[in-house]
Amino acid sequence: MEKSGSVDSLGSKRSSSRQPSVDSLSSTSTSRSDRSAQTKPHSAMSSDSVSTSAELSPELRVSGLQAKVLRDSNKEELQLLPNEKVQDLAQDVTYFCPFIGALRGIVTVTNYRLFFKCTDRDPAFALDLPLGVVSRVEKIGGASSRGDVSYGLVCKDVRNLRFAHKQMEDTLRKSIFEVLMKFAFPVSNGLQIFAFEYGQVFPENGWKVCDAVSEYKRQGIPNESWRITKVNDHYELCDTYPSTLAVPVNMPDEELKRVAAFRAKGRIPVLSWIHPESQATVTRCSQPMVGVNGKRSKEDEKYLQAIMDANAQSHKLFIFDARPSVNAAANKMKGGGYESEDAYQNAELVFLDIHNIHVMRESLRKLKDVVYPNIEDSHWLSNLESTHWLEHIKLILAGALRIADKVESGKTSVVVHCSDGWDRTCQLTSLAMLMLDGYYRTIRGFEVLLEKEWLSFGHRFQLRIGHGDKNHTDADRSPVFIQFVDCVWQLTRQFPAAFEFNENFLVTILDHLYSCLFGTFLCNSEQQRLKEEIPKRTVSLWSYINSQLEEFTNPFYVNYSNHVLFPAVSLRHLELWVGYYIRWNPRMRPQEPVHQRYKELLAKRAELQKRVDELQREVTNRSASSSSERAGSPTRSITPVQTFV
Amino acid sequence: MFSGKPTKPTFKCYLPPVQVCICGSLCEIVVNEVNFVRKCISAESSQDDLWGKLICTNFKVSFIPQDAPPKQKLKLSHLLLEEHDIPLTCLEQVVTVNDTKGKKKVLGSNQKLKFNPTELILYCKDLRVIRFCFDEAGPESAKKVCLAIAHYSHPADLQLLFGFDYQGRRYHESKGEWVNGSVPRGGLQTPIFDRPSDWDREIKRTGASEWRVCSINEHYAISQSLPEYIVVPVSLADQDLKQHSSFFTDQRIPLWCWNHSNGSALVRMTAINDPLQQRKIDQRYTVIKSHPQRNEVVRSDLEKFLPGIQDIQSAFVKVRQICVVDPFEESEERWFSSIENSRWLEYVRVFLKHSAEMVYYLDGKNSSVILQEEDDRDLSCVVSSLVQLMLDPHYRSIIGFQSLVQKEWVMAGHRFLDRCNHLKKNEKEESPLFMLFLDCVWQMINQYPSAFEFTETYLTVLSDSMWIPLFSTFLFNSPKQRSHCLMDFAKNKAIPQGEDQVVYFPPVWNWSQQFSAKDQTLFNNPMYVGKGAPCVQNGEVKTFRRTKKTFSSTMRGTPASLRNGLRGGEDSLHRRSSLVSELKPDFSPVKDESPSERFFRDWFSRPANQQGILIPLLLPSHMALWKLFFLRWVPEACIARGGPITAYHKLSQLVDEIEILQGQLRQYKGPSPGSTPLPSPGGPLSDQRRMYFTAISPSDPPTPPDFLNSSFPFTPVGNLCRPGVHGTPISKFLNGARIWLSTETLDNDAL
Repeated sequence: MEKSGSVDSLGSKRSSSRQPSVDSLSSTSTSRSDRSAQTKPHSAMSSDSVSTSAELSPELRVSGLQAKVLRDSNKEELQLLPNEKVQDLAQDVTYFCPFIGALRGIVTVTNYRLFFKCTDRDPAFALDLPLGVVSRVEKIGGASSRGDVSYGLVCKDVRNLRFAHKQMEDTLRKSIFEVLMKFAFPVSNGLQIFAFEYGQVFPENGWKVCDAVSEYKRQGIPNESWRITKVNDHYELCDTYPSTLAVPVNMPDEELKRVAAFRAKGRIPVLSWIHPESQATVTRCSQPMVGVNGKRSKEDEKYLQAIMDANAQSHKLFIFDARPSVNAAANKMKGGGYESEDAYQNAELVFLDIHNIHVMRESLRKLKDVVYPNIEDSHWLSNLESTHWLEHIKLILAGALRIADKVESGKTSVVVHCSDGWDRTCQLTSLAMLMLDGYYRTIRGFEVLLEKEWLSFGHRFQLRIGHGDKNHTDADRSPVFIQFVDCVWQLTRQFPAAFEFNENFLVTILDHLYSCLFGTFLCNSEQQRLKEEIPKRTVSLWSYINSQLEEFTNPFYVNYSNHVLFPAVSLRHLELWVGYYIRWNPRMRPQEPVHQRYKELLAKRAELQKRVDELQREVTNRSASSSSERAGSPTRSITPVQTFV
Repeated sequence: MFSGKPTKPTFKCYLPPVQVCICGSLCEIVVNEVNFVRKCISAESSQDDLWGKLICTNFKVSFIPQDAPPKQKLKLSHLLLEEHDIPLTCLEQVVTVNDTKGKKKVLGSNQKLKFNPTELILYCKDLRVIRFCFDEAGPESAKKVCLAIAHYSHPADLQLLFGFDYQGRRYHESKGEWVNGSVPRGGLQTPIFDRPSDWDREIKRTGASEWRVCSINEHYAISQSLPEYIVVPVSLADQDLKQHSSFFTDQRIPLWCWNHSNGSALVRMTAINDPLQQRKIDQRYTVIKSHPQRNEVVRSDLEKFLPGIQDIQSAFVKVRQICVVDPFEESEERWFSSIENSRWLEYVRVFLKHSAEMVYYLDGKNSSVILQEEDDRDLSCVVSSLVQLMLDPHYRSIIGFQSLVQKEWVMAGHRFLDRCNHLKKNEKEESPLFMLFLDCVWQMINQYPSAFEFTETYLTVLSDSMWIPLFSTFLFNSPKQRSHCLMDFAKNKAIPQGEDQVVYFPPVWNWSQQFSAKDQTLFNNPMYVGKGAPCVQNGEVKTFRRTKKTFSSTMRGTPASLRNGLRGGEDSLHRRSSLVSELKPDFSPVKDESPSERFFRDWFSRPANQQGILIPLLLPSHMALWKLFFLRWVPEACIARGGPITAYHKLSQLVDEIEILQGQLRQYKGPSPGSTPLPSPGGPLSDQRRMYFTAISPSDPPTPPDFLNSSFPFTPVGNLCRPGVHGTPISKFLNGARIWLSTETLDNDAL
């Protein structure tokens, strides 16, 4: 095994040996044995490289067309980002692509990515993997008869990769995959996450997208019933909440503190959204600390009454507890619990039966088994059903729909919580707000929604994703946010004209949830982000996205006013998000780009409009010069058609 | 009492006509009616239910609401059927229920009913399930209406289907217009393939120079199930064909379907009685002298690879049960595995997969393909039409698609009468093969949304038309039966001899029989990418100049006269095969890849050419349930203000704007040499708009399209997925009744 640290040698030595060694890849044999008309696009080659370079190295596209051309011609060459440095390079590595078979090539590891370039096949093939995606690296088996060692990379984005190289002769030298582990888990190795080094400058500044005060102002807060409080300015009331909070007018800051004592982690009920007409509100909090003895808090009861009173339209308040009632009851043993209807007059408690983070993690794990690397020819639907993934999605959407329906149709205020109010509660409030308020369905509005309901209200991204942390078995990891984005995708499927953003937008967000290229999803709370100076030291994902909005825009979008979405929450309408979970499978070629066709049509219209305008000018000029000649010129019929995009 | 008659009365004199229905079609007769009937509409409560009159005529079951609700502004409205009408041929099963006595009975023809029904449930072939309650209606008249519906939906004879009365009357009343009009064949542009010229044009279009039209089956002299004109190899003389015919089931000489530009041909054939003859026949029919590669002929025994007609029927019955009959919430629980267990999507996939493999042989291996099936009238209809749909973009236009159905189904002798079971005589013969085909086509549309000129609405409406007995397309088992029936019919109705059948008993393709011009625009796909491609005109191959912007030619629609001859496949086929050879040297095979896998891999590695070959993606996860078709009547599954139609809405408006601009441009440019005179400047465009949703004026603010939902343009009406009056889900109540399956056994169970 030859190793070289210099980039110069890259590609100069082409491995002449074609090493098939495919026998070990039994995983694909099921589909291979199926000899009848299989759609087995070889786009595996291009798709792997195209999709990775297109989706995971956005920086190459940033500067518009020029960069694009560059990328296309050089997609199989490693393009370093600002401050990205090659750490190690190994030749003669075998990558066992589950779709193509074994490929020989060169692996480069930088402080941001793993780059595999195939040397024994044309058209060239490249694999570009941000190290943030790696969940764990495992050495598989001992040295085989040929003296190979192989490594498996389990990834957070629903794929596993396998590599092998010759046993080191020099036993003191580290394998490239040991080097990789160092940079894949910087937090565990006392290194810095790459986002702190990435210094790309974008025309837009994403850190300015969301400002809590102006978002409340957009909703008409403060008003006669709701005020903005600075009681949490130094995160003393609640260290997982944002500094700016909206609370009922008649709850003084002093009482808020007593309410905080009664709510888990001090997460008091605060305003998420207010209906512009009925003043019905969506408020969020954590569970009350009722405990086995059924403790009560006068201030908390008064608080919920105040929330109800702030809405003159209804004399009822709905409390949506996201958990199954059994779980909620079990929480009493740990001091938590739920509101009793005796203590909270005029309040009605509803359990939404959504399971906890551990159940969701297990469900996604099963889903990965079903979709990666290959889909079995038979029992696809029952296998999918056995993962329960879509059932969970259904329950979350159903909960959000009930909330939205109560607020919109019932004009009733709602309080939403789960245990801590930072997982299921985030899902429910943000989905309900998407259904209720068209603003959040725009690109910027969605960014605001994420910044507010998820990031500022302390969804623990660091813990749930485990950025740069090698402890892959951590029970705090869970795909809560992925699940939410999946729900959003389901909504876009049901309402193809109601969202300004497209599927690529959602996939990009999820890719950079893991990539550690941007600072957006780092840390667990606003307080931590402030302490780490994230906005100062890293780039926001929204800077990247907002600098090239066209890529993320849904051409079918129509900005209807007062358009509340009531999705059909039924498995009949829920689908597996193939474009995300199965995108690595080359047989899963992306569906024909309808959006492309739409853009062509838009261009066509613009061109025609231009020609009509030109001709009209010509005719007007001509008729002006020789007005007597043609009395009935066609000018009158030419009225420009409206152009709305 | 009429129900007590021991002998089977004739259909017509069974009940005295009550009155001639004026609101309905011509010559429609009301057989029986009952007032104060409640039609169940809403899921949870009865407050939305409609009160009105239930009528049975010799054509349909009709419900006339007392207070007609305001008509919805935008919605497909049938010219012959109202919203609450069900043609008798569309009835799958008539079930009467007596709630208080806990009795139910599936009614057949000429039966007794020992209880007074409190409810009538109609299961329809278009998947509607409709329930009427008689709680306020006269018990005797309710019973009479139920019996009349059951009886009249089981006509004793084909000629008694309402279409025969209707078309006879229509012919005489509108004769002047038809005959004096200069448009031949009632203005129909779709080739019917009942005359040599239609076949001849198809031979020329596909460049099948080794094939000829042959008329030995004129007057059905050789085979009872073949059309009068068929296409056979030039190398075989009529005498040879006559000799060969005895080898085949029903003397069906092999049928030519289609020719690839590389010379390979698609042929369908029955089983051969004498195995020794098989190889000889294969050779004579497909290896043509000038075939460039002279490759081996591929013969595919369809029955070996594909499910049988009864498997398909039972899959359809199951999927229908899950989608529209089972209680909504109950079937929600195990939705995916239930769908899987029905095997419907599996069968859809198997058919697409097998067809794709045939595409590989024809295109990738330059081999001719013979589709072989026992009698060549069922499975091969599906496969041959799918193969052609994948290979030849012509069939993806509306006219092309209709000609494909005409050629591979109607003329090839698919037994529509038996498979649809219009006479409800033999349920073992019933099988939704055509429906399966339409679902396969929908899967292709779903994957390639801009490759087809028509929409899923078109496919759905086409499937519904099978159950309206007014068109000659779906009524007969063979061209011979059709021809004889229509000759008798012409004699009875005093239609002069020599009058074209297409004129006096038109096929379904004359859509203006059913829908207004405006409603027909719902068939047009705004995303369709047609192309100016080589085409045949008056038998002469001409090439259109390929325009850079591929859509420019279709946006205005190709002139109808040229559409028939549109030919897009050939040139792209050449390009594709040359690409393959270019890539070959550097393309090391992947693992143990078969040549066909390689072929598909190559194809998928390049962007799909909408006007070239199209191969569907065939992973199980690519197969989707056709929601518009299966769920359109289910209110619980309806997405308000959503569904794919909302994108279609926006797209149509954009295309409409483009067409307005193009119209304006033409006005400026004035008549160009050789073109027809243009409309005068400022002339109205609106009457010829191709899009259903037209451009809005800038002053209108966008408002949420309230009328749009995932069922559009259909309206979900009441069905059974709901609790019954007393809280019991009706379908549970009906447990044990083998709904959809045999009425035979149940007919005789008096409960």
